[in-house]
Amino acid sequence: MMGAYRRETAVAFGIFVLGLLLVVTAPGFFTAANLNDLFLANLPVLIIALGMTLLIVTGEIDISIGSAFAVCGIAAGTLAKSGAPLGIVLLATAGLGAALGLVNGWLTSYVRVPSIVVTLATMIVLREGLRWITQGEWVHDLPADFQWLGFTQRSYPVVVAAVAAALLGTFAWASRYLVAARVMYATGSDPDAARLAGIDTRAVKLSAFVILGALTGLAALLNSARFNQIPANAGLGLEMKVIAATALGGTSITGGKGTIAGTALGVVFLGAIGPALTFLDVSAYWERAVQGAIILAAVAADALSGRAETYATHLLRDRA
Amino acid sequence: MRPTSYATAHSFALVAALVIETALFSIVAPNFFTVGNFFEITRLSVELGLVAIAMTPILIAGGIDLSVGAMMGLSAVCFGVLSRQLDMPLAFALTGALLVGAAGGTLNALLISWLALPPLIVTLGSMALFRGIAEGMTTGAVTYTGFSESFLFLGQGYLWARVPAQLPLFLLVFAGYFFLLHRSAAGRALYAIGFSPASARYAGLPVKTRIALVYVLSGVVSSLAAIVYVAHLGQAKSDAGNGYELDAITAVVLGGTSVFGGRGRLPGTLLGLLVLSVLQNGLHLAALPSELAGVLTGALLVTTIIVDRVRAEEPPLLTEDIPVKNTQVAILCGAILAGAFIVAGTNVWLVRSITGVVATGERAAPARKLVVAMMPKAKGDPYFVSCRAGAEKAAKELGVDLIWDGPTGLDAAKQNELVENWITRKVDVIAVAVENRGAISSVLRKARSRGIRVLTWDADAEADARDFFVNQATSEQIGYALTDEAARLLGGSGDFAVITGALSAANQNEWIAFIKKRLAEKYPRLKLVTVRPSDDDRDKAFFEAQTILKVHPTVRLIMAISAPAVPGAGEAIRQAGTKLVQVIGLSLPSITRTYLKDGSVQTVILWDTHNLGYLTVQAASRVVANELQAGAASMDAGALGRVDVRGTEIILGPPLLITKTNVDQFDF
Repeated sequence: MMGAYRRETAVAFGIFVLGLLLVVTAPGFFTAANLNDLFLANLPVLIIALGMTLLIVTGEIDISIGSAFAVCGIAAGTLAKSGAPLGIVLLATAGLGAALGLVNGWLTSYVRVPSIVVTLATMIVLREGLRWITQGEWVHDLPADFQWLGFTQRSYPVVVAAVAAALLGTFAWASRYLVAARVMYATGSDPDAARLAGIDTRAVKLSAFVILGALTGLAALLNSARFNQIPANAGLGLEMKVIAATALGGTSITGGKGTIAGTALGVVFLGAIGPALTFLDVSAYWERAVQGAIILAAVAADALSGRAETYATHLLRDRA
Repeated sequence: MRPTSYATAHSFALVAALVIETALFSIVAPNFFTVGNFFEITRLSVELGLVAIAMTPILIAGGIDLSVGAMMGLSAVCFGVLSRQLDMPLAFALTGALLVGAAGGTLNALLISWLALPPLIVTLGSMALFRGIAEGMTTGAVTYTGFSESFLFLGQGYLWARVPAQLPLFLLVFAGYFFLLHRSAAGRALYAIGFSPASARYAGLPVKTRIALVYVLSGVVSSLAAIVYVAHLGQAKSDAGNGYELDAITAVVLGGTSVFGGRGRLPGTLLGLLVLSVLQNGLHLAALPSELAGVLTGALLVTTIIVDRVRAEEPPLLTEDIPVKNTQVAILCGAILAGAFIVAGTNVWLVRSITGVVATGERAAPARKLVVAMMPKAKGDPYFVSCRAGAEKAAKELGVDLIWDGPTGLDAAKQNELVENWITRKVDVIAVAVENRGAISSVLRKARSRGIRVLTWDADAEADARDFFVNQATSEQIGYALTDEAARLLGGSGDFAVITGALSAANQNEWIAFIKKRLAEKYPRLKLVTVRPSDDDRDKAFFEAQTILKVHPTVRLIMAISAPAVPGAGEAIRQAGTKLVQVIGLSLPSITRTYLKDGSVQTVILWDTHNLGYLTVQAASRVVANELQAGAASMDAGALGRVDVRGTEIILGPPLLITKTNVDQFDF
């Protein structure tokens, strides 16, 4: 098992270096207010990345979550405006997300269309369909208790932090000890072997899609609730942020390998790096280039440090 | 070994889709089934086609390259620098740009093949790196134009008066790739690698070099695509090729290449590309909403790929799999297309018949309805959505057929494409809210030379490229009004920050230039400390505003110059609970009302967007009726009464300063 958590360690080290640099040059980064804002801004990425990790572990992928995020946000707003109680809004939004995940999962598992094709299609269809229906119109005039979901600006971050921590803990625990999650690793490592071992791989993949969908709906609601109106173009590029964080955290795109802790570290690293560059006074025009270079450097350094091992897994991965 | 039966089955479904598309569009879309339009379609798909060709062997080898669009941006900028800034001869500039492409491709190749890193994460990183370098080099704003005629010929000219000049280049690259993939040992090796890298290695194939090869080539071909793009648009800017990676992958996958590697053929990619291009072109010509293209693309993707599952040579794993025949899939594709058309068609017909009835009720309808094609900069933007309402009101009053379509995000290339399609459709008037002056002027001149009347609104093209400009406010007026308002609120001195749209947005950059000019001329004690991007995303603007408050504690005012950025900044100020920092900007009353009222936003500068749309359609109808000619002092603008005309500019009136006290007067 030596080096099994190498990527996690590498990302943690990256975060440590970044943190050290900030402590020395821009201590303002570590104020409670900034960390609070940073947490809320990256909350959707974190919540969705939990589900994405499990889905990628099963060997599938979903790139439609950005569009689903926008659809769920608008749906939540429209429902809240119609006077539905917040509990119903919460259930309906998560349910809508789960239903969208169910469609992706059904087409992938049972119609057996590759997931990247299915979700590329639903990504386009949902985004364009939403634009067609809303014509770009935002949802305004939400009921007063929609913002902060009945909590206050002060208590809301505490509540969602508790929700996020609970989700993170549950997923991290389940992914190690719960059979329902272990079969996902089995499915992703070797679908044929998993099937022969009596695992219903199609149901496993379907459930991973549904879980991811429900989390996307939840994230859309928790994010919308920070504001008092909901834009129709939310979540553009969100899928890339989520997948980048998951992959950076060591989850293998080919399935079977990945940890929730690694994903959480990936989210922290990618979420912190943008604002960190602002605090370090890097020009906005060069920020994206520096970000790209740091990501490449991080994965390259990781690979160089354990080249032989990565190479072996790369060559031996199953392409069933 | 070649998976012929699978490939032919898939091609069959695509050809069927293509035939059905062509047949349907020939009926519903004016001038669709013409030789001229066929060549226009090929011209418009060359850049994307080049990228898609290069993507095919990468997917076959089991990889992916997300950095192609960003590589186009970087190559375009490098070409611009070499050719315009350093005034190098064309041959040097071309070589330089291609070398940049090769270097970028090599970086990907090194990381993916020698370090055995996952291609998805590597090219995600290099996508940010390439686009970032392009933005950094140009500060997002610099646009290179003024290329020589002989170079522009490559993108805009015709061979033998018919054939687009870039078509032979495309065919050459296609032939080269066809040979590599389907007629060479290296190509066979790619299939083997994609099918199983481990077995390929045990079979003694040079796995690493073969994988490296396709990524390096992808970089070079992306550069080539960038050069054609620059010649086509007549300008080089850091946003070239934005989003091409996804469009290219869509075409390749639709063409039957497996994303898991080991399967796919280049002719399939070509078919997939044609199906998509014909779909878009036909929908534009038929004036059906372009959102339909997205919905149909999604449906086609899933439907045609079912063939993949059905005809795959592996034995069905589960008994309940129902075998489906090619013909059934083809019929399914056809039925989906036809169904969508019927739905869309009835909608359009319904709307037209209703507006027709209203129009005849108010004034005698002309024998043949005037067709006005009006283009916003971006379709989903709330600002343009509210312009549309006014335009539709005028169209209803005048009995005009209004086509409203535009790019979904800011995209100069898409604007040109749409104008080309409208020329083919032979509309009577084209009215464009210009995203990029240099890029669109040549195609607008072409429209005028074909007898189409051209108006610009919201932002102008070059003066000889249009008949009239419906002028709501110049960039200078906007920049100055914003600066003056900031100075008034700050009492003439203090620090402020700007939150813009995308860093490469042409208009915002022009406003920023005038803001800086005004500062230098009039307000030496007012200081612009930072410009931050929001990418027209409310949530990002919110977070940027929060960060500005912390990083630049001296800032006393935030100027947000993109419609979603003002509510974003306003919410940040409200949540921070500070009274020290004020917010002004350019936005809509509807999304800023609550912030104006609670004092988180002080002033929104805007003009009446309803009236802008209304006036544009009014002007279009007057121009065609020859009731408005250059040199007139004013024009009759229906409900707006008489409106001033200066030279070839129709003046909407001064910008409005919207504040707490008057915001309720505006319903847009």
